[in-house]
Amino acid sequence: MEEGLVSLGEYSISNVHSRDCPGTYPGRNDAWDLDRFKQLFRVEVVSLEDDALVFDMIGIDASIANAFRRILLAEVPTMAVEKVFVHNNTSLIQDEVLAHRLGLIPIKADPRLFEFPPQRTEEGDKWPSSTPEHMLEFVLKVRCTHAPAPGGAGRRGTAAEPYVNSKVVSGDMEWIPIGDQAKTLSDVGPVKNDILIAKLRPGQEIHVRMVCVKGVGKDHAKFSPVATASYRLLPDITLLEPVVGERADRLAKCFSTGVIKVVGNGDSRRAEVGDTRKDSCSREVLRHEDLKNCVQLSRVRNHFICEHPSNVGWVSNA
Amino acid sequence: MNAPATFESFLLLDGEKKISITKDTKVPNAAIFTVNKEDHTLGNLLMHQLLRDPQVLFAGYKVPHPLEHKFVLRVQTTPDYSPQEALSNAITDLISESTALETRFKEAVRERREGD
Repeated sequence: MEEGLVSLGEYSISNVHSRDCPGTYPGRNDAWDLDRFKQLFRVEVVSLEDDALVFDMIGIDASIANAFRRILLAEVPTMAVEKVFVHNNTSLIQDEVLAHRLGLIPIKADPRLFEFPPQRTEEGDKWPSSTPEHMLEFVLKVRCTHAPAPGGAGRRGTAAEPYVNSKVVSGDMEWIPIGDQAKTLSDVGPVKNDILIAKLRPGQEIHVRMVCVKGVGKDHAKFSPVATASYRLLPDITLLEPVVGERADRLAKCFSTGVIKVVGNGDSRRAEVGDTRKDSCSREVLRHEDLKNCVQLSRVRNHFICEHPSNVGWVSNA
Repeated sequence: MNAPATFESFLLLDGEKKISITKDTKVPNAAIFTVNKEDHTLGNLLMHQLLRDPQVLFAGYKVPHPLEHKFVLRVQTTPDYSPQEALSNAITDLISESTALETRFKEAVRERREGD
């Protein structure tokens, strides 16, 4: 069994833990060395978009990759609505439910330009009055009315659009700069403008003032910058014997498309390992008696494929 | 109703120290470090880095209770090396490892952006 591979068997997974600590193999020097780490370690960014990042870390240990993942989820700060001052809420959504929803809206603002709010105590929050370095202020003021009928006559709109402002969306939030924030900050607001906050009917109104502060995911999940942070190990498939003909087709069907390629035509067509990255490791091949002994399924222990869909709009400011 | 404040998982209370050491008297050259307001993120990382040091005989960590935010790290070393030194070296190595990770990551992102 190769050392760097976690083998996926029919009933168990073996060779899971890395054995590269000094003392495991006598005569081998496994002591940690920064230069050797730098030689072996690589990062490859597979896809980089505004709302998702996929990259590979190769040659790193699971403890660091996991610490990285945990830190991304819980300890990278972002800005989110913390206090909601309700001036008027005649909608059907209760104040606290509305405040909860507003808190979960992702806010596009660079948290590095802000400081953490002063420490809270058990008795009550002593919030300083509008300090530009701690907070961002938003106002949401929406009133729903009947739509004017086309042609001006009568008071009700058409059947298709009877109301004006019946859907309160995150784009309705207006940024109120405090102090000289208008000069130092730009492009501040919710990340997406079409997040539905509440639905109104004529006569109902929502008028709230919101204060956003900087926080971390450990405090409340609304402060987490990633939708989720996950990693998986790169799957590895080895063919133990040549698989030809109709067996090759069946073998290719056991894996996700593109993982096993069938090369050639006719009775001598062979199965070859294609792109193992696409494999979802369902181990379907182990359900077929005649196919399960011709492949060795495993995972490369120090190759981490990290996928991070983010919800704050900026994935990485390098 | 009885839930403690969420910020208590990472903010030190008055008079609480971040890290404290007690010597383990049962065996020579062993110490127990108690780190407050940290969790597996740091504990697992430190433990694995200590295990990669050839002069460390024992390294292990645990979170004594999930409702108390701290972890306990026990280190035993060879006689010519002290546990404090071992932990200090492990932390230095981890800092250089994460700096290397940061530079490589930033380079990779920059290459990706330039390639587009």
